[in-house]
Order: sequence, then structure tokens, then C-alpha cells
Amino acid sequence: MKYINRNGIFSTCLFSIFVFLVTSCQFNEDEQDLILPEIDNSFSGAFPSQCAVIKRGETFVFRAVFKDNVELGSYSLDVHHNFDHHSHSTEVNDCNMDPVKTANNPYLLIESFPIPEGLQSYEAVMEITVPEDVDPGDYHFMIKVTDKEGWQTLKGISIKLD
Amino acid sequence: MFIESILLVSLINPVPSGENSTNVQMDAYPIYAQIQQPKDSTINKETIKTYELGQVTVSDHLEQMIKEESSNISFVRKDFLRKNRGNSLMKTMERLPGISTVGIGSGTSKPLIRGLGFNQVVVLTNGIKHEGQQWGADHGLELDQYNVDQVQIIKGPASISYGSDAIAGVIDIKDKPVPDRGSQGGSLILNAKSNTAWLGASANVYGRREKWFYDMRLSYASYGDFKVPADTVYVYDFGVALDQGKVRNTAGKEFDWSVKLGYLEGPLKNTLTAGRVYMKSGFFANAHGLEPRNVNEELHDSANRDILLPHQEVGHFKLIDQFSYRFEKHLIEADFGFQLNERKEWSQYVNHGFMPPNYPDELSYPSTLERSFDKKVFSMQLRDEWFLDQHQLQFGLSGEWQMNEIGGWGFLIPAYQKVSFGLYALDKFKINDEWQIQGALRYDHSRIAIEAYQDWFPSTEEQEEQPSNYLYRSQASTRTFNSQVWALGFNYAPGKFSFKGNIGTGFRVPIAKELGANGVNYHYYRYERGNAELSPERSYQLDLGGTLKEDQWLVTFSPFFNYFSNYIYLSPSAEYDYLYGAGNQVFNYTQSEVVRFGGELSVFHQINKSMNIELLGEYVYSEQVSGDKKGYTLPFSPPPSVLLNTTYKPLWTLGLGKPYLAVDYRLTAKQEQIVPPEKMTPGYRLVDLRFGAELNLFDSPLQLDFQVRNLFNTRYLNHTSFYRLIDLPEQGRSFNISFQLDI
Repeated sequence: MKYINRNGIFSTCLFSIFVFLVTSCQFNEDEQDLILPEIDNSFSGAFPSQCAVIKRGETFVFRAVFKDNVELGSYSLDVHHNFDHHSHSTEVNDCNMDPVKTANNPYLLIESFPIPEGLQSYEAVMEITVPEDVDPGDYHFMIKVTDKEGWQTLKGISIKLD
Repeated sequence: MFIESILLVSLINPVPSGENSTNVQMDAYPIYAQIQQPKDSTINKETIKTYELGQVTVSDHLEQMIKEESSNISFVRKDFLRKNRGNSLMKTMERLPGISTVGIGSGTSKPLIRGLGFNQVVVLTNGIKHEGQQWGADHGLELDQYNVDQVQIIKGPASISYGSDAIAGVIDIKDKPVPDRGSQGGSLILNAKSNTAWLGASANVYGRREKWFYDMRLSYASYGDFKVPADTVYVYDFGVALDQGKVRNTAGKEFDWSVKLGYLEGPLKNTLTAGRVYMKSGFFANAHGLEPRNVNEELHDSANRDILLPHQEVGHFKLIDQFSYRFEKHLIEADFGFQLNERKEWSQYVNHGFMPPNYPDELSYPSTLERSFDKKVFSMQLRDEWFLDQHQLQFGLSGEWQMNEIGGWGFLIPAYQKVSFGLYALDKFKINDEWQIQGALRYDHSRIAIEAYQDWFPSTEEQEEQPSNYLYRSQASTRTFNSQVWALGFNYAPGKFSFKGNIGTGFRVPIAKELGANGVNYHYYRYERGNAELSPERSYQLDLGGTLKEDQWLVTFSPFFNYFSNYIYLSPSAEYDYLYGAGNQVFNYTQSEVVRFGGELSVFHQINKSMNIELLGEYVYSEQVSGDKKGYTLPFSPPPSVLLNTTYKPLWTLGLGKPYLAVDYRLTAKQEQIVPPEKMTPGYRLVDLRFGAELNLFDSPLQLDFQVRNLFNTRYLNHTSFYRLIDLPEQGRSFNISFQLDI
């Protein structure tokens, strides 16, 4: 039995080293940002909201507030058609959708904007004019925001062009 | 088990078949084991030749395996693969310490060795580097899991003998031994799994006359959508309801064949192998596209086994010739290979960014062909092993030519051609019975020529109707890389202890994707941008290993330390791109210094003749110490985990052969070391059960194996899974059954 004891000690030592490695590895002292930015579009004056209807040929104002624990990066807006009912919004309530149809001249907006440096909170305000000759119907309004480290949050809103 | 143990023993210390009885106690060893450099590893191969032990033939090929470097080598054999069979070969091997996988749905996965994977791990089949799986996390290995006899794993850099991509390790899928003279046989494998409604079958025949031998295999598998213990998952913040926990559109099928013809005469051996693996598998329909999608649930949920859009289809054809010739004190080996990897990704056309809303008829691709890759690879390996008194020298030359063509309406990776060659020399020097040292040098040269690619649609209003002005996603460019790497190692084996160490450098040439990617990755809703100026990835590595082997104990500890001066890393930025990236977040290929360390521990103890216990632990720590993401870890860092196993092999048999019952209890810690866009993953505990035995059916052995995977239907997330980012839990409980009839 002698060797078993000795080996038991040996393997216990090895295991201790292993456990030590597992538990002692706080290598860096830097604070890491592990928190995603936020999109707030629920305050009064925020637009568009879920199921909003926007008239073609008119100008509306996009308004939302972005927040981050350290520093915001940039944001992106993307409006594209949902005539095939492909997309889904992050909002809870579903809107009444038109029947599925083929796109002819759908409205498309893709734009991105840097957020001024050093901000933890930023209110985005942007005037958007919808051309008159685009297809009316169901659209999807995507808002995406990053923070400086590259964490991203996105939000999808269903809207209708009338 | 007995035969296999003998095989294992014979590998360590070859003995003629008549002397087996002296090694019966070695039955204690686990069905896979860390193999140490044997003390007598400089045995002249001429004197070894071939040992026949019962049904198993130990050929020089296996013997050579042990004589590899002083790095950490372990390997698994047929028996382990059969008893632990998962949905893919790599899933089966996940049980090994230091190995984890990036799983993509049911049937596909790719290996991570100590947290590094993709094109940092070399996978060899029939001596030739398997090319095709290195495009991204969503692409698995095109291998027939039934057509694997044994697998050798080298943890740590093995760039010297395997080439520069082996910066993280090697998974070497070994060829079956040559059948005995005049023998003929075959096997039939059937298996079924409850979770995915998997049905798989594989049939094999082989035979040998005097000098000629052959081996043929046909395999087929079909599986349905896999089930998870959840009724809703959140793709980012988009809620997706799952019908009965079934992950929509993850069904698949696989059809593989291979034919081998060999010739063996005295010192000469040649085998020619041809084979093809075909796989078609669905992608989780709600998690592919420009954004999380609402899909036609009625259509998807009506059938379990249908593969709708989006899905991928891969055909991988291989033709490999392996030649070896022994003369005087030399063993010459030459491997030639041709591979054709045809990959297609199908999905509904979605006008991303400024693409036209409706797919134009005049384009030559079908509207559902998002991307395709046709990759041809010719490769060659030449090797001379030279056995001198105390020296064992090895010289090698390898060469490769690759051509990749692309198609489909989407663009991510450019077409390219690549030529590379490498030269190496290695010396193993045996100082005395206890000490052996080795040193090696390698030189590599490679050249990659990337083709230009221009969009087929205008991206700004000024460009309208002027195809010559459309955006260039890739400019024609050529890069040339040269490198030298070196390695030094030792083996010290006093008595029942043995120690090994290896220090060296590694070098990896950036791949086309890292240099030239420029498009939206539809699996991740992100825009990936390559960097044509990347310098090669260079690593410095120290590997150690200690083993204690006694009657009832086998303890192995293998720590490592690794420093990358410029690790190539896909770094998320704060930026969006609307021109090339269709409004998606930009991910840039960048480089940073990285420090990694960790290790594996395995303890095996034979309690008595019928019972043994085992502990397998693994730990990896990675940190970027410079660059944008300084302080963060690397993506896909596996959390620490420990696996405890008890195996009971009763002495009674009740007419059954080799009955066994095994329980695996895996404890995985939470992973809090993350880097954007990863999420912290909670820890979990899993229990797997295995049992089986052998029956005699018309004088042929019929092996029956049962597995209960995830016995308690635990809901857990795997940090290294492809679907981790969308919080998709892993598969729930599954009852797996497998029959193997050997004739």
C-alpha cells in the first residue's frame, strides 16, 4: 500500500497546482468594459415608435437617446421594406401588416453617424424626408448603437409608410 | 479492450505476439492515453517491421507516431470513438482534456485545441492536410466519422513537421493498418439518436491477397432538427418561439464513400485513396440574414427532416497517394494529394444595402445562391527518416498549390491562388537510456495572389448604370511570406516517472479571409473587413509534461505557456459601414500581442480488477496585452472544466463479451473572460451514461453500445458554440444506440 499513498500525495500535489492555476489567474489589472450600450426610445418625444405611420413626401424627426457606462461609439439607422414579412421587431406589440407584396421602388435608408467623443449619453435627432415616389407599406426601422469597445445593441421597430 | 491495451503497450514497447501475457496488467490503462516518448525510441525501424497481435496489426506507421516530437501527444482509438460517438468526429473527441469544439447545429463542428482553432489547427487525413474547413466558424470539417480508425492529437505547436498552420496543434487522423495476408472482412455500423432523430449507417469491406489490399466504405446519415430544453430563445433581443424545443431548420444529411487500393511488397508500400464526403445541413432559420428574422414557422415546423433555406451544401473530394520505401537505414515517405472542396451557401435573396430590391434575371447565379467556394488543393509531402546510432534524423519537404474560386450574389472572401513550400530538418539524439534531446529547424515560403472583385450593383447614386465604376470589394494584390521556425525538446524518463519539454517558435501565414474579407457575414449580422497588410502570426511556446505510471495509477500533467507577438484577431469596432457593410457593425482583422497559459491534468486509477476512476481537467487563460482590445481575452476561450469518470467492467459476463458501464460527470465553470461581442456563460454540470457489451452473432462479434447524453436534460450554454451569441441552449437528453457487426 505504500506506493499508493505516495502516489496519492503526488497526484494531490499535481491537482493542487492545477487548482491553483485555475483560481489564481487574474492576470490583468485593467478594468474591462463588459456592458452593452442602451437605446432609449420610450420617452415622450422619441420617434418613431412601434407601429408609427409616416406619410410619404413628408419629413419626420428621428429622436432617441443612447447611453453607455463608459463611452459611446456610433449609431446606425437602417430603414428597409418588410413587404415579404421577413423581419420581426423587438417591440412586443405587433402591428397590422399589409398583405405580402413584391417591392417595386422601396424606400431605403442606410446611414451611420459617429457620436462625439467622450459621451456617456447622447440624444440623436435627425430629420428624415421620405420621398414621395417610394412604395407604401410595411417597413422596418433598425436602430443600432455601439460603444467605444465595440459592444452593440440593436432595436427593430415596425413602421408603415402611407 | 484487451487487444487494444496490448496495442497500446506494444506501441510503447513493441513485443512479439507470443509475449502478450507479461503485459496483462496493462489492461488497467484507459482507452486513450498520453504517450510518452519511449525510452527505446531510437530502435532501428528495420528491426521492428510489423507485429501482429491477434486481430490488430501494429505497423511502422503507428510505431513512427510515437517517435514524434517531445510535444504533448495523445491519441484515441476506434474503441473510444465507438463508445463515445457524438454527432460528428470532433464532438466525440470533446471528452479529451484540452479539446473543445465550435459546434454548428447537429452534424457539424470544428476542433479547438486549448482554445485555438480554425486555421490554427491542422487536420490531417491520410497524411495530407485537410483543406476546406477554414473559412469561418460556420464551416465544419468534411470527414466521415465512421471512417476513422484512430486519431493522434498534438497539443501545442507542431509547425516543424506539419507546416506553419499547426501553430495551435494537430489532429492527425490515422490510416487503418494494412489487413493481414489472405484476410477478408467487413463491418456494418448502424446508429440512432433520439434527440435529432439521427439514423446513420456505414458499411465497410476490406481484404488482402498477397501484395494487394483494398478497403471500401459507404456511409449515410440523416437527422432532423435538434431539440433543446427551451421553448423560446432570444436572437439578440428578438424573441423566437420554438415549436417543441426544436431548432428550426437544423436538419441535415450526409453521404460519404471512400475506396482504397494498396500494394505492399517488402520495403515498399503504396496506397491510393479516393473518397468524397457530401453534407447538406440547415442553418437555424431565425438567425441568418441581415438581421434576426421572422420566418415562415408553419412551413418550417410542419416537417422535422426537411432542409429549407438557409442551408449549406458541401462536397469534399480527395485523391491521395501515399508511398513509402525502406532501404538501409532510411525510411522514405511521399504523400501526394488532390482535394476539391465545393461549398455552397443557399439562402433567400435579401437586398442588402444598395442591392436591387428584386434579384436581376440576368445574373448567372440562381437567386438563392448566396455564396459559393470552389477550392482545389494539390499537396505534396516528402520525408526521409534516417536512423543512425544515437541519432534519428528527419528531413522533409512539403509543397502546396491552392486555387479558390467564388460565386453567388454575396461577397465575403476573395478568389485567390496560393503557392507554398517548406523545408525542415529534425534530429532526435539519444544521450542515454534516460535522456533524449531533439532540435529542429524549418523554413517556409508562401505566396498568395488575391483576385480583384467588383460589386454587380451600384452603391451610390453617382455610379448608376456604370458597371465599370461599381465598388471594388477586393483589389488584386500579392503577398509573399518567408519564415524560419525552430524547436528544442527533451525527454527524461527515470523509472516510473517521465518528463518532457518543448520550446519553440511557430509561424502562421495570414489566410485569404484575414487579408481580403470585405463584406457582410450573414451568420453574424456583421461586416468583416480584412487587412492586406497583416504580418504573419508568430508564437513562442513552452510546453511541459510529466507522467507517473505505476501498476494502478497513470497521472499526467501538461502545462503550457504561449506568447504571440502578433495574433491575428477579428476585432469589433465602434464603427458602422453603409457602403460595403450595408449598415452593419465593422469587425476588423487586427493584430495584437497575446499571452496564453494553462494545462491539462489527467489522473487514472484502477481501483480493482473491474473498476476504475478517472479525472480529466483542463484550463486555459488568454489575454491580449496590446492593441484595441488590451486586457480582453480571445474569442472562443473555453472555460475550465473537470470530467470525472467511473467505469465498471464486471468480471461476470452472462454470455456477453466485455460488458461495461461508465458514468461521466462533467463540471464546467462559468466563463467570465469575454471579449465583444461574446456573452458570459454560466457554468453547468452534465451527466452522460454509457454501457454496452459484445454478442456473438453467427460467429461474428456484434458490438452494442448505448449512450444517454445529457441524462438530466440540463439546459446549458456552451461558450464555444457557434450559436452561443444568440443564447441557444445545447442539445437536451438524447438516447443513442449503436450496433457494430464485424464479419
